[in-house]
Amino acid sequence: MKIAAQEKGKTRRARHSEQMILFAVANRMFAIAAAAVQEIRSTDSLAVSANEIEYSEILKVRHTLERSHQTYYVVNAGAHFGLPITRPTLVLILRQLRVAVLVDRIERMAEIAAIHALPRAFAGEERRWYRGLTYLDDHVIPVIQPSGFLTTDEFRSLDRATNAIAAPRHLEGAFQE
Amino acid sequence: MIAEIQNPGANSYVLLQLANRRFALPSAIVSELAPPVRLHTFPNTSPLVSGVIVRRGRIVPVYDVASILLGRSSSVHRFYLIARRTFPEGSEAGAIPVSGECELVAAEMQEASANTRPHISGILLVDGEPIEVLNFDALLTSGPARHNAPRPAEAQS
Repeated sequence: MKIAAQEKGKTRRARHSEQMILFAVANRMFAIAAAAVQEIRSTDSLAVSANEIEYSEILKVRHTLERSHQTYYVVNAGAHFGLPITRPTLVLILRQLRVAVLVDRIERMAEIAAIHALPRAFAGEERRWYRGLTYLDDHVIPVIQPSGFLTTDEFRSLDRATNAIAAPRHLEGAFQE
Repeated sequence: MIAEIQNPGANSYVLLQLANRRFALPSAIVSELAPPVRLHTFPNTSPLVSGVIVRRGRIVPVYDVASILLGRSSSVHRFYLIARRTFPEGSEAGAIPVSGECELVAAEMQEASANTRPHISGILLVDGEPIEVLNFDALLTSGPARHNAPRPAEAQS
């Protein structure tokens, strides 16, 4: 009646270890694959290139960022995970997604050899948020699923909101010319 | 009793203590009573799941069943009783915090009456005391009102 014998294969052991960025939001630690992050900037350095979204139904996204002719939606990780409000100091600009994530601080980098599947007991939004769990230095840390920050519907909603703002500006520019 | 449960019989049950009440689980689904280990928590929206513990190299979800059985979360617990929960895709170990007073008994279960809550399979009479036998799977799906906000909590020792 040992559990271990019946749960073989639940842990997805990577063939190679994976480099992770450990970051904190409201004193909670999370891990995200370093390969999923394109750039880390301070919020101060990006203040000039950020635009506020005035009418967004997605409360965790209040700003956009323009980077390399692309509009990135800035997700407040605290709001995303339902954590207490903090003052984020860093922005993780993700790779291959139009998403940037506000976090409090980077803890460190770490090599992770194994990601445990999220137990089936977890049946809520966290199944979209996390790739799984990792056990590092006596801590269980959720490993972020980068595509879990915004759903397709949320992208559509944000695109509508930002296009609605951009249209009058475009017209304004046309008249000036 | 901190040990793996050996040789469970059909009429074998593990009595567990939650606050001042005792309940029973069929010993066939109980694997062990784990010592007080660190509860790791992270944001989630799953009802009843308060976090995970690491046991024998495995990550085991912890269910706050006191909120259903006692009507409140019980902060007074010392051990984790680990039992097997069945899902459509298979089964998985899950832990419930208990106060440590667990006992293996052999007794005949009396069927629960029709109007009993679905997570009660029946009643055991142990030394004249009626003890409700829990249907572990039904218990964990009969959760309290779903939390809309994620329930992050500090890691605890």
